[in-house]
Amino acid sequence: MVQIAQELKNNIASKAVRNVQRGYTEDEKMRGLFRSEIKLDLQRSRLMTESFKQSDGEAVVVRRAKALAHVLEHMDIFIRDWERIVGYQTSSPEGLFHPIDMNWRSVKRLVNSEAGKTLLDDAGRQELEELCAYWKGKCMSDRHQELFEGDLAKYWKYEGTFLWTHLSELGIPDYEALFKSGLNGRIKMAAERLAEIEQTIPPDYVDQKEFLRSVIIVLKAVINFAGRYASLAKEMAASEQDEEKKRRLEDVARTCERVPANPPRTFLEAVQFFYFIHLVRYLEYSTLGIGIRLDYLFGPFYEKDLQAGRITRDEALEILQLLWAKFLELGLVYSPLVTSVYGGVASLQAITLGGTDRAGNDVTNELTYLALEAARTMRTIEPSIALRVHDHTPDELLSKATDVIRTGLGYPSLFNDGALIPLLKKWGVPEEEANGYAVSGCVYMEIPGKNITRRVDGYFVLAKCLWWALHRGVDPKTGEQWGAKTADPANFASWEDVFAAYLEQVRFFTTKMAQVENTCRDLYAKYCPRPFYSAIVDGCIEKGKECKQWIYPSMVHDMTIVIGSTNVADSLAAIKKVVFEDRLVSLPELIEIMDNNWEGREDIRQACLNAPKYGNDDDYVDLIARDVHHGTEATMETVKDRFGFSKRGDGSAVSATYGLAVNTPATPDGRLDGEPFADSTLAPQPGMDRKGPTAVLNSCAKIDTLQTYNHLLNQKFMPQFLEGQMKPVFIDYLKTWREMKIPHIQFNVVDKQTLEDAQDRPEAYQDLIVRVAGYSAYFVELSKGLQDHIIDRTEHRLA
Amino acid sequence: MNLPKSNDNGEGLVFNIQRFSIHDGPGIRTTVFMKGCPLNCHWCSNPESQDFFPNLMVRDMNCRQCGACEKICPEGAITLTREAGRKIERGKCSQCLVCIDACIYNSLNVCGKYMTVGEVLDEVLKDRAFYRNSGGGMTISGGEALLQWEFVMRLLRAGKRQELHTALDTSGYATWQTVEKLLPFVDLILWDIKHLDSREHKKMTGVGNHMILENIQKASKTKTIWLRMPLIAGFNDSDTHLAKLIDLAKEAAVEKISLLPYHEGGKSKCEQLGRTYPFPAGKAPNDERIESIKGMIEKAGMRVSIGV
Ligand code: SF4
Ligand code: SF4
Repeated sequence: MVQIAQELKNNIASKAVRNVQRGYTEDEKMRGLFRSEIKLDLQRSRLMTESFKQSDGEAVVVRRAKALAHVLEHMDIFIRDWERIVGYQTSSPEGLFHPIDMNWRSVKRLVNSEAGKTLLDDAGRQELEELCAYWKGKCMSDRHQELFEGDLAKYWKYEGTFLWTHLSELGIPDYEALFKSGLNGRIKMAAERLAEIEQTIPPDYVDQKEFLRSVIIVLKAVINFAGRYASLAKEMAASEQDEEKKRRLEDVARTCERVPANPPRTFLEAVQFFYFIHLVRYLEYSTLGIGIRLDYLFGPFYEKDLQAGRITRDEALEILQLLWAKFLELGLVYSPLVTSVYGGVASLQAITLGGTDRAGNDVTNELTYLALEAARTMRTIEPSIALRVHDHTPDELLSKATDVIRTGLGYPSLFNDGALIPLLKKWGVPEEEANGYAVSGCVYMEIPGKNITRRVDGYFVLAKCLWWALHRGVDPKTGEQWGAKTADPANFASWEDVFAAYLEQVRFFTTKMAQVENTCRDLYAKYCPRPFYSAIVDGCIEKGKECKQWIYPSMVHDMTIVIGSTNVADSLAAIKKVVFEDRLVSLPELIEIMDNNWEGREDIRQACLNAPKYGNDDDYVDLIARDVHHGTEATMETVKDRFGFSKRGDGSAVSATYGLAVNTPATPDGRLDGEPFADSTLAPQPGMDRKGPTAVLNSCAKIDTLQTYNHLLNQKFMPQFLEGQMKPVFIDYLKTWREMKIPHIQFNVVDKQTLEDAQDRPEAYQDLIVRVAGYSAYFVELSKGLQDHIIDRTEHRLA
Repeated sequence: MNLPKSNDNGEGLVFNIQRFSIHDGPGIRTTVFMKGCPLNCHWCSNPESQDFFPNLMVRDMNCRQCGACEKICPEGAITLTREAGRKIERGKCSQCLVCIDACIYNSLNVCGKYMTVGEVLDEVLKDRAFYRNSGGGMTISGGEALLQWEFVMRLLRAGKRQELHTALDTSGYATWQTVEKLLPFVDLILWDIKHLDSREHKKMTGVGNHMILENIQKASKTKTIWLRMPLIAGFNDSDTHLAKLIDLAKEAAVEKISLLPYHEGGKSKCEQLGRTYPFPAGKAPNDERIESIKGMIEKAGMRVSIGV
């Protein structure tokens, strides 16, 4: 099996994007944004353009349905030598998806720049030029440009406080229902609804009719798309000499004839069904994430096949590995700016394992373990695995998860039902539905099957809000009033005054963000409907309404990723200590020193660095951190979205804590201009936690999830802590994490490279604990000889 | 040299409280390291624990050569030159420790702090949830914890009152009258054996082992014991010596033997203390030998762990 895994990986071109925004040196530019074999795929753009030219004058929803149908009908398809699950996002294996209907300018710039020149050849560049000419003024980003004026135009552009994005719409289709009805069932449902409105003639008769017709167009096109694969497989099988390959192709043909038109009967059919839906969801619209509860959804099929003797464990594992390979193929073109938040990402896909069913019973089954096995053998960057942990999660599962974490993959990352289900309920999700939550990418929580189309509206740099609070909202370089007009820091009498001004800035920018987001959503609802996605979630066909015309009634769908909360807390603690208690400098003096990036006043910077830091189980600063999180969320919640639901924060960080920190000057926590922030909402600033992993969890536990948002916590561990006699202790550590109701944790298992980096830059690794025979020590404190020894051992262990 | 006055307020001299300690007894623990040791083991991996007074520890890595310490030192023990950087002449240093506050870059630090039982216990209790889930608790180690037996007894007693699992990590080098007083408050003893031959013991640690061995015999009648031994090539890793270790383990009915292969962990700390490392030739047995030792002990029917 391991061998198959390796072969699969060798055959797939990784589309993970490289982070070029930061440290954009000549050298990195030459490296390119994508690997050199990756090519921008123009076929979807070409077909969409063709269709759009023909459908001019029709309703937008119909035009988009027809365009998708046209793509599905004419896109080049192929089946690769090893495939049992088929379907491709692009017209060639090396193709890179480009949603020209969203945005073309940055992509055109990209293919003409050093970082992206390998993406197209000259003929391709010429064709792209022609296609862009059609989309000029019509793609979504052009529509913004044209529509936004005044403040909207001003705050829409990234300045450093928030990065608005409409790169993606997440959401998880209602696979449970689809597996029961097949797409034929959905078509029938739409037809019935059409017949019904002929009787009732509702006031929005025209909208409903156009929408429902579009649904039927796309669903038929998807069935036809699968049919094309069935025919191709049959054709290939006819001329295939190798018996085994022939059988495999015949299998593919049979499967694609059956699904997704009809309900799947076997594990393989269920997987192929899912994959067609997943793929077309990506093709309709630039989308990220997966979010299916893999074990819950496929486990029953697998177990039935096993009982009937239709499948062996090894075969099922192979099917999962092939599915993993399909996930790995998906990708998306990113602009250089976006790489600053998505460095290393292909499509940010995560699958969910474990957790409970609607009634609250544990769902762990054989497939849960098999999926972990697939992840361990494939070792791919995507999909990441979100493992839901609750009071009745079997110890066996925690143990297997630990084995996978130990290999250094960075996942499964663990989600604590005990913290998150109550949070979802607070957001208005009924308990039964909250019990079924899933994670689609990073820590994005979703309710599978529900109409949750839009997730991240942007990245919000809280540390920059604090910085504005220290500058009355005025940029000292330009003199421009950019943030809220808060009080003069010279009049602040305590850290609480600074905090109050910070919250005012948070409110100001959240309001601006909401204005941008709400108008954008309106724009997308009008120009970018999604008939296919609407057809596969709960409620749209029933209501006769496209998915952007209404929303699942909860604040689960509206989130802004918050960054730098730890730096805000550490900064406020430093102000409290250095300015108001030790009185080493006045606040205006501190601000001046800070604005000079501490130059010439290293003494003050050191005093700020030596002030208590979050993550050491020290109430002095931990309670400030709690106030920062609780206060930020409460402030954000006062602002409402288009449907009247509160905005909220979110702990997903991707690589933004690194990428976006570039635009935040020095902060009072001793951070230098542009230095990265703590890497997640719950994480201490790197190197600042000196009391070990229990103290970190104690600090985290002081922040109440219910009063905040879902969080992210990264912990660094040496592999030796997760194996042998220490493994049970590690699992006990996880159980304590669960009991403390900290919503999330994931582990970076330290590898050789990290340790070498720690030798070079000890200041950034003050917190790295290693195990030397008989005791644990801070790595940076050890002699060079001993460090080298540990590096050798670590390499050996991970091999 | 002026020794700082020993503490009259009933405080103990602690040099480290290590949380998430997972090798000093079962589960997740917090280990309280007491300062001061009557032994002087050449291989000591915590040389900063040896003196019964706070020490100046110097981390050259952090020094920015700002000169603040040079200005403040009353003994003229610190010099700052462009060529050699900041140097401390340990012979002149009186350990007055005033330079520590002057250094804002954490290059000069104190090792050792007087704390009350309450202060130590507060820190220990913070990880109570972890102890409960893992069967962990508090371990008192050193230095040699028995040197400050009175403080240690009160700390253990307070720990037991909080229903903590308690472990004492000791060489056992104290009179039986002292050891006896602590036993009611100890659930587990981690007994550090260096060598079973008294002469060899004295050669490498400065003291003989009669008292230690006697104490093991007596304590083993009522207490659970884990034996721990640093494994040092050419010193205590011979088959004959290990056979004796096994005999002792059986006689004292210990639960397990932990062997800690030697490492030069004490070297960088000696540098920070301004001392020369006394054991530059120290070596652990090679991996094969360690495996065969492990096999030998297991064959004798004992539980054994390496490096844990
Ligand atoms: S005060 Fe600290 S940083 Fe300055 S010279 Fe002395 S040891 Fe170095
Ligand atoms: S402790 Fe520091 S200040 Fe005091 S004598 Fe020694 S070197 Fe000088």
